[in-house]
Amino acid sequence: MSAEILYLRARTEGEHVLLECPGVGLFTNAARDGMALVAGARAGTLLTLGRAYELRVPDDVAGIVDGDLHERVQAPVGFGTVLYRLRPLAGATARSGRDAASGAASGAPLFRSPSAGRFWHRAAPGEPALVSTGDVIEAGRAIGLVEVMKTFTLVHYQPAGGLPARARVVRVLVADGAEVAEKTPLLELAPE
Amino acid sequence: MFRRLLIANRGEVAVRVARACRDLGISPVGVASESDLGARWLACMDDVVCLGPSASRESYLRMDRVVQAALQQGCAALHPGWGFLSENPRFAALCEQHGVTFVGPPSTAMDVMGRKAPAKAAMRAAGVPVIPGSIGLLASVDEAVACAREAGYPVILKADAGGGGRGMRKCFDEAQLRAAFVQASAEAESAFGSGALYLEKYLEGGRHIEVQVMADRFGNCIHVGERECSVQRNHQKLVEESPSPVLDAATRARIGEIAVRAARSIGYVGAGTIEFLRADDGAIYFMEMNTRLQVEHGVSELVSGLDLVHLQLQVAANGRLPIAQPAVKLAGSAIEVRINAEDPANGFRPSPGTLTAFEFPRDLGPGTIRVDTHMQAGDSVSPHYDSLIAKVLAHAPTREGAIETLLACLRRARVEGVATTLPLHLAVLDSREFRAGTYDTRSIPGWPASAR
Repeated sequence: MSAEILYLRARTEGEHVLLECPGVGLFTNAARDGMALVAGARAGTLLTLGRAYELRVPDDVAGIVDGDLHERVQAPVGFGTVLYRLRPLAGATARSGRDAASGAASGAPLFRSPSAGRFWHRAAPGEPALVSTGDVIEAGRAIGLVEVMKTFTLVHYQPAGGLPARARVVRVLVADGAEVAEKTPLLELAPE
Repeated sequence: MFRRLLIANRGEVAVRVARACRDLGISPVGVASESDLGARWLACMDDVVCLGPSASRESYLRMDRVVQAALQQGCAALHPGWGFLSENPRFAALCEQHGVTFVGPPSTAMDVMGRKAPAKAAMRAAGVPVIPGSIGLLASVDEAVACAREAGYPVILKADAGGGGRGMRKCFDEAQLRAAFVQASAEAESAFGSGALYLEKYLEGGRHIEVQVMADRFGNCIHVGERECSVQRNHQKLVEESPSPVLDAATRARIGEIAVRAARSIGYVGAGTIEFLRADDGAIYFMEMNTRLQVEHGVSELVSGLDLVHLQLQVAANGRLPIAQPAVKLAGSAIEVRINAEDPANGFRPSPGTLTAFEFPRDLGPGTIRVDTHMQAGDSVSPHYDSLIAKVLAHAPTREGAIETLLACLRRARVEGVATTLPLHLAVLDSREFRAGTYDTRSIPGWPASAR
């Protein structure tokens, strides 16, 4: 039986790449000073309530461990605790944050979030998404929910600001449960 | 007594529990989501463990991480606060399994009373009057519709694991019920980690009156009088007071005795609240039991002089209740208002942002003022969590005195930078209906219905 895999979180700090803990637990079997860590490599174990999670290096990261930051056996760590400081290997960069709604065809009509919050695709876990690629939507159609301070509000399609009255959904631009700002594009549309 | 305790919560309740820990010589350890890490209120903790990203389900609701945090911090006990995991019997059981004392009832008692459907069944069996509705949980929207047809509209959907009005929806016909079912389920899933719902006939109006109980592990149980919580909006309590202006002494004694009997019958331990609905005809129905500390526990503390969090910690540490029922003396009148970062003039829209001023004068009399908060000027109100930023309580020998004390404080309070419910509270406290005590859960006294 293999342990469940958790990927470390990567961010850059100056010239270093920092790998952060993705959970809470006892960090053990750490890679040592001077070892190379590349994408997909095993980078220790996190024990949470006796259960072992195998820690792996995320995509687009390659570097040399620069100093031991923790005891190598059962160091108590939390979410975001820096586990490794890496000197990057040439040509490698840490993965930059979450992909934004990039790549929407320029000039395509975009339906935007009416408020800041967390955008949900479905009305309840296990329910189908309220809108999917290829759906044709009209004014008043519920396309998702926005959660602000634990209050859920249905988002209805409003063909205002030059948006077509009937439109086909080309793409849903925001992941289920992603944080959105007011006016973040949610849907890329084509007139129907 | 415990030496070190994990507070598995955030904000105001985390600060409240930390204060009680200090009083008793316990070292408090906090938890935080990534976006809460820089919050100033965490300064009252001796240590802080980061649980995960801002979304509650990835941080404050992650049971394995919370219990692991307690273990690796050497905490012998864990206080769940309110909301989040506080009424989750699986979480209480997980703590018990790992040798961490859960400050609350045993998971078995929580399993019966924490979920509303079995609680109702237990109360029905004990001969306590309950409201007609679904027997048990609803498996589907179709079952909800069938159930509503039997009980008769209007009906109300409630989250089985819920509290504080989250995941509740009032429905007047089948179309509304079908629409509300999915949203209520989603809200409950996000807020409590369980989307299960049940349904009751909606009794129009009435008063929300609840009794505070406290029990130890030796079969001793007391009640600390009632709280009147009928000033509500969408089942969110806005103003709470003790004693209730509508109860006579006989009814007060009767519901206190029912509450203690109910708690004893299920082997309850710790702080709990039995909520009753007093219908317009004076009939009293059991609504639900909250198996945790309540947001509004402060009003009971003011009239009784007891510290309910101290008592919680003492009985959790296998102590005996230091007080018996005859010694519980309730004196004067206490009123609490909840200051939420919501705009009452704009449909109570959430109003996160930075507090530029945050001051409540405490010396204007005639009674005394208590302010429970985790915020100060310069802090920001997070968009990720509950909108409660402070509770302001007044205590005076008479109800009129408590109203005047609270009004004097709130009129001079400075809360700037975010919209809050402060203007609403001024209107409520100064209204004729509130002063006369003639209001119910249907309307907010002194506040136009159109603005709800």
